Amino acid sequence: MSSTHAGTAEATGTAQSAGDDVVFSVRNLWKVFGPKAEKIPGNAEYADLSVEELRARTGCTAAVRDVSFDVRKGEVFVVMGLSGSGKSTLVRCLTRLIEPTSGSLAIDGEDVLAMDKGRLRELRRHRAAMVFQHFGLLPHRTVLDNVAYGLEIQGMGKSERRAKAAEVVAKVGLQGLENRRPGQLSGGQQQRVGLARALAVDPEVLLFDEPFSALDPLIRRDMQEEVCRLHDEEGRTMVFITHDLSEALRIGDRIALMRDGRVVQMGTPEEIVGSPADDYVRDFVRDVPREQVMTARTAMRPPVGDEAEQGASVAPGVTVSEAIEAVVRTGGVVRVVDNGRCLGVVDHQGLLAVVAGLGADFPAATGATGTSAGAGVPRPDAATGTTGEVIPA
Amino acid sequence: MTAPTISATARDQREKPSPADGRPAPAGKFRTVLHHRAGRKLLPLAVAVLVLLPLGAALWGGGGWPAAQTVDVSGPLDDANDWVLDNRDTHPLFLYFLLHLSNSATSAVDAVYAGLAQLGWVGVTAGAVLLAWRAGGLGRSGLKVAATALAAFAVCGALGMWDPTLMTIALMIVAVAAASLVGVVLGLAAGLSDRFDRILRPVLDTMQVLPAFAYLLPFVLVFGTGTPAALLCTVIYAAPPMARLTALGMRGADAGVLEAATSLGSNGWQRLRTARLPLARKEMLLGLNQTIMMALSMVVIAALVGAGGLGEEVYSALSTVDVGKALAAGIPIVLIAIWLDRTTAAAGDRIGDSASSAAPSGRGRFLHGRWAWALVAAGTVAAAVAGRLAGARLWPEAWTYGISTPVNKAQEWITENLSSGVPVLGGTEVWSQNFTLWVLNPLHDGLTWLPWWALLLLVAGVAWLVGTWGTALTATLAMAGIGVLGVWDKSLNTLSQVLAALVVTLVIGFAVGIMAARARRFERVVRPVLDAMQTMPQFVYLIPVVALFGVTRASAIIAAVVYALPAVIRITTQGLREVDPAAMEASRSLGAGSRQQLLQVQLPLARPALQLAVNQGVVLVLAVVVVGGLVGGGALGYDVVKGLSRGEMGIGMTAGAAIVCLGLVLDRLTQPAKARARKGA
Repeated sequence: MSSTHAGTAEATGTAQSAGDDVVFSVRNLWKVFGPKAEKIPGNAEYADLSVEELRARTGCTAAVRDVSFDVRKGEVFVVMGLSGSGKSTLVRCLTRLIEPTSGSLAIDGEDVLAMDKGRLRELRRHRAAMVFQHFGLLPHRTVLDNVAYGLEIQGMGKSERRAKAAEVVAKVGLQGLENRRPGQLSGGQQQRVGLARALAVDPEVLLFDEPFSALDPLIRRDMQEEVCRLHDEEGRTMVFITHDLSEALRIGDRIALMRDGRVVQMGTPEEIVGSPADDYVRDFVRDVPREQVMTARTAMRPPVGDEAEQGASVAPGVTVSEAIEAVVRTGGVVRVVDNGRCLGVVDHQGLLAVVAGLGADFPAATGATGTSAGAGVPRPDAATGTTGEVIPA
Repeated sequence: MTAPTISATARDQREKPSPADGRPAPAGKFRTVLHHRAGRKLLPLAVAVLVLLPLGAALWGGGGWPAAQTVDVSGPLDDANDWVLDNRDTHPLFLYFLLHLSNSATSAVDAVYAGLAQLGWVGVTAGAVLLAWRAGGLGRSGLKVAATALAAFAVCGALGMWDPTLMTIALMIVAVAAASLVGVVLGLAAGLSDRFDRILRPVLDTMQVLPAFAYLLPFVLVFGTGTPAALLCTVIYAAPPMARLTALGMRGADAGVLEAATSLGSNGWQRLRTARLPLARKEMLLGLNQTIMMALSMVVIAALVGAGGLGEEVYSALSTVDVGKALAAGIPIVLIAIWLDRTTAAAGDRIGDSASSAAPSGRGRFLHGRWAWALVAAGTVAAAVAGRLAGARLWPEAWTYGISTPVNKAQEWITENLSSGVPVLGGTEVWSQNFTLWVLNPLHDGLTWLPWWALLLLVAGVAWLVGTWGTALTATLAMAGIGVLGVWDKSLNTLSQVLAALVVTLVIGFAVGIMAARARRFERVVRPVLDAMQTMPQFVYLIPVVALFGVTRASAIIAAVVYALPAVIRITTQGLREVDPAAMEASRSLGAGSRQQLLQVQLPLARPALQLAVNQGVVLVLAVVVVGGLVGGGALGYDVVKGLSRGEMGIGMTAGAAIVCLGLVLDRLTQPAKARARKGA
């Protein structure tokens, strides 16, 4: 198990680290809590044990187990998992708020684990800033001083940091509340302060640790849009931890799904929803509105006859629900066109198969007999013909 | 050692299905007994008693602590005292350390006193009032606190106690400054280092249990009577709350905030300055409040070792049973206590509010932070200068009013008319005689009748029941220590007084506490009275008691009851109030009457609070019963006073050590392991 796992990790590693645009590069990272924790990683004897078995055997809790991934510049990388899956520990390991037990970790090619205290402080001060679930605001300071706190720690003078903080306060939509204290703000406003504090230091990467899970659903929605807007405007790299799948799908460019400290599957939202790596992931994504996540590219089939030459067209990246609208409007097949080249066509059958969760290959495999599609046909095995980086659990 | 076996059998029994289904009742009952926490211990205890009682009776017989088993420590202590007296001017330990300490203590107090005297009465009063106003926020909200301060100082002056008041305040300023510094340093260390916390915590716990009286003698031994001894024992006595609460504030800081600070790249010092200390402000101010109150209490008692000031006046008046003079000095003490308490409490409240109020801007900013302090200082100086120009440095003679003559007259009237011969009720003296005759004496006789080894067994057994092996060991060793010190009989005398006072305190305290918890209106009436009573130094309680009940053992006990009641009532009320409302609602929905609710839900759920109330009651009662040695309580407290007043260090120190042992025994007997864990958290 251990060997196949490591093999996959290496494979994905070589596949990605080729580019220069990798911000965080994480390889075989472990975090084990407990006595003699350093003996657990890489030990074949313990590799197959579940978290509970490991705790019973050794008294140690493995929060992060042999995790490898890259965060590319400008993307929103989401780590998602249920509570206790190790995702919060993982994000804290990135700036060594929690010291990893073993593995390697680099930011812009610089080894984080080798940094001395001063260098690490520099990293935290200027390169990676974090937004916390429970905000972590200083209750005795005003909003403005809270936002300026990171700059104060950097040693910036009072007037300068206040001026800079005021800019960021405006950017997150808190104008007029500068002199309030955190206790007087709503949860959403407090988290805006937390976000502003992180933004004020102008970091290379923003780390979010379940930032919106303490908020009401409506406000959470607002905040997610705010993050998306900020990302669109500034293109800042983000690592986002969440336990909320819809949040992960909404804002993530890529998602790593964690369970019991391991990454079970990593890929784009479409890959995760369209081809779950195992039953756990499948269970997880069962209720996802697939037409919102899957794209026309998944639903298309090769054109037959003159279908490729005429009719309406959509881009391959549009969601299935948008493609359905186009198909309904035209009443026939719709071409999927990328840069003037026809990649294929979508029709009602292909789109419905995606919505029904029958897999992209369904129409091709079963041909035109798919009329009885929805009626109790077992789901085809996943992971066939997908491009996602599937890590077997 | 039998406990685990018993519990194992109990478990076996529970797991096995009952063989005889026909009569499960006796087995079930037995099981319930074994299942209960205390029940599990009762059985081995009964066995132990059955074995040990005849054994003890055969080996040692009855009676008090055998003389052969005592160690006379008073001789060596007297020698030590003599050695100190002889070497005070020559030994390097004194020359290079203790003498410096005592000199700087004296000069600090003298300097502060001179400073206050320079300010004149106008300046001091203005300063106190402005300080109170500043603490209250310099707005309209602070006016009440300021008015309290003004009234307090006006009355101090009017009673002709201006000079002793100044002396007491000077001592307080130096003592509180030093105690806070010591406390903050210790608290910071304990807050940041787990190991230091583990070392410090039991020390602070123990110090908190010991009566103020026990602190006096060691300092007198080293420094002799006078300001240094008084000041230093005040500092040592008053520092623990500051240390404890600072550590608590440090440890209770929101971990999320600290993590956020770390994630922004702060270093240790930045975290301490910008996050840890500000987050602990509320606890630290509470600590300051407690430190101030304890320092006041000790500064007054330290009159016995030559502190001077208001305590001195009370002490000398009490020793001649001049109630009028004692009251004239006692009222200023109470007023100072109220002034200090209100001022620090107002500051604490304001910090609590500031987290939820907008930062001031514009004109209001000048009433905050540095500006406000500058305003206070400027106002004080201005008033002082004005006062000097008007030629008034001492409180004007014409504005004083001597209350001692009318008070003494009133007291004579009380003695004549209320002490005895009141129809039906009897009178205060009759009450106290009856109390002595029917409660105190039987209790004392019973304790002394018990063979010494039986008493040790009793202590060990009870301590084991409520706590652990460790508790039992500490308690028994402390009790044996009393015997070894050779003050067994006197200690039993003190113990009987403590027990009598404790029973009275608990009966009244629980009754009032339950009433206050159930009737909000009653609580609204009682609450301010309790608040005021809790701030007053122990010494003050003796004055009215002596006026009413004369100089007897009973008066010491009554003073102890009155002193301990507020804490017991408050903890009881709070404990009952904090009972889970869901449980109350559930029982009400099942149709429980209010009596059933009280007995079946509130009291059982409030048990930890009630245990804490008992513990606090014991500690407070002991503190005053010992001080009661001044007004006829006799026993250990009297020995301490005698040791102090006649310079008989041996007797005094022995009694002091016995008081410490007694305090430990009583604390351990009433403090279950669980409650201790709660207190720690």
